[in-house]
Amino acid sequence: MLPVLLHIFIFCYIPLYGVVIAFQDYYPGKSFLAFDGSVHWVGFKHFIDFFNGPYFSRLMRNTFMLSFYFFAFGFWVPILFSLLVNELKSGVFKKYVQTASYLPHFISNVVVAGMILSFIGSDGIVNAIIKLFGGAPISLTTEPGYFPAIYTITSIWKSFGWSSILYLSAMSSIDPHLYEAAKMDGANRFKQMVHITLPSIRPTIFILLIFAIGNLLSANSEFILLIYNPALYETADVIGTYLYRDGLLGGNFSSGTAVGLLISAINFTLLYMANRLSRKYSDYALW
Amino acid sequence: MSAVVNNRIRQGSTAVDILLYAIALLVCILTLYPFYLVIIMSISSPMEVAAMNVFWFPKGFFLGSYELIVKDTKMWWAYSNTIIYVVSGMLLNCLMSILGAYPLTARNLKGRKWVIAFLLIPMYFGGGIIPSYLLVNKLGLYNTMFAVIIPGAVSIWNIILVRTYFATIPEAIKESASVDGASHWQLLFRIIVPVSKPILAVIAIYTVVGIWNSWFDALVYLPNERLHPLQMYLYRVVVQQTVDLKMLTMEDAARASFTMLSNIQLKYAIIVFTTLPVIFTYPFFQKYFIKGALLGSLKE
Repeated sequence: MLPVLLHIFIFCYIPLYGVVIAFQDYYPGKSFLAFDGSVHWVGFKHFIDFFNGPYFSRLMRNTFMLSFYFFAFGFWVPILFSLLVNELKSGVFKKYVQTASYLPHFISNVVVAGMILSFIGSDGIVNAIIKLFGGAPISLTTEPGYFPAIYTITSIWKSFGWSSILYLSAMSSIDPHLYEAAKMDGANRFKQMVHITLPSIRPTIFILLIFAIGNLLSANSEFILLIYNPALYETADVIGTYLYRDGLLGGNFSSGTAVGLLISAINFTLLYMANRLSRKYSDYALW
Repeated sequence: MSAVVNNRIRQGSTAVDILLYAIALLVCILTLYPFYLVIIMSISSPMEVAAMNVFWFPKGFFLGSYELIVKDTKMWWAYSNTIIYVVSGMLLNCLMSILGAYPLTARNLKGRKWVIAFLLIPMYFGGGIIPSYLLVNKLGLYNTMFAVIIPGAVSIWNIILVRTYFATIPEAIKESASVDGASHWQLLFRIIVPVSKPILAVIAIYTVVGIWNSWFDALVYLPNERLHPLQMYLYRVVVQQTVDLKMLTMEDAARASFTMLSNIQLKYAIIVFTTLPVIFTYPFFQKYFIKGALLGSLKE
């Protein structure tokens, strides 16, 4: 037990304490634990610099928009998919559909990024299809306008099957007698779905909705880092990628930490508010 | 039985059924087609790929790109590194989860509440990437294999999963063991761990796939290419394009077909080659994954 606690202390709590460098002018090699006056405290300077910096609005907009697209277009896909699977008669085909839909979840981001980049490249399949229909090839990899669509479609493709697991497990615990009773009362299949299946998975939908709202400012920067390029910064550069480029590669440790701290504070607030609202208007809450 | 009843009473018209099956089939094809396309492109003849004629079936047959990849020593280095990371990460994670979870099941543990709070706080708040990076640097782990292995050795999430499972083991078993004079270590490794194999399988498989697919830690902590895992190698080839596989073809340039080989086809081949282990083993470990996903949701 002790080594485990020690490990958690070192790798979770020391970095947690390390956020104090967000309020300092920190240089590598200097200690941020020192109390001998060598630490140069600057208060909220890095936060203010970020607010007034040239990239603030672009980063916030991109991060929010990419997360929002994924939420708006992606949230209901697993619900629809699980309703569809639920209506299939059990058997080999149903199993096969489920297995196929989970597969992208297990493929690494790097592989997915590699596939996408080659598909949308100038000699990729997307442009080949466009040419087939007589269109002019589009430079999907350098035109910022297409990036949000590419990101959203890929993210949904990668996650919809896996996200449907929770819904499907909620559906599998529905009492068959409910359907029987509905049938007696003359409910057709569609009505059974609307009045029995959907209400049964409502708690699951609410819980996942809370999570989704808590994530509205956390676009998948690890994936974006793989598929973007400088030509796309206008729509593709998000806080996570900026943090990596400017904070880590650029060596601006203090300002990078400040940005990271700001975002996790906002995310936590969002999650907290979503949870409060959900508890107020329904009975579902995380805590 | 209930499933049969369910089906009988929910029978609708055949037309609706056919429609639903058609939609499901379409979804399936949309999901799998990208993988299929990559595979057929990687084995088609280079001329056809360059002309973008390959859509549904492989055209021609050519394994030259695989031949080149197999000869690439960097790829094998990366493969062996990944195996080191995966095996050590899996063993450490299982061991640490067992050690971390066991004391939490003891009801008389002093300050148990504090320990649980200690575990829960980092799940919501983290220092972020930069303080972690500075810490790894300070500990002297930067640019060593340990930079990737050690920070990931403990997962609080796994500890909680294992603890939940341990809590379901009947108290009577533990009591009778201690009456027979078993020490804590004996009790843990002779009795509790053997009956907890299902949950350990779940976290082991989660860890294996997680490490197999991870690349970001390597990007941040490992500038030395010799230490790179497979995904990082893939990143260099497919995304950054800093490794030019065409360089490898020099000695084969005499053979006409190789000169036609496009970089894009090599990329497809290397994607297939590095992803095959996941795709082939995936149907077998799938059920453990689903179990894990559902266990996780119970805690939420």
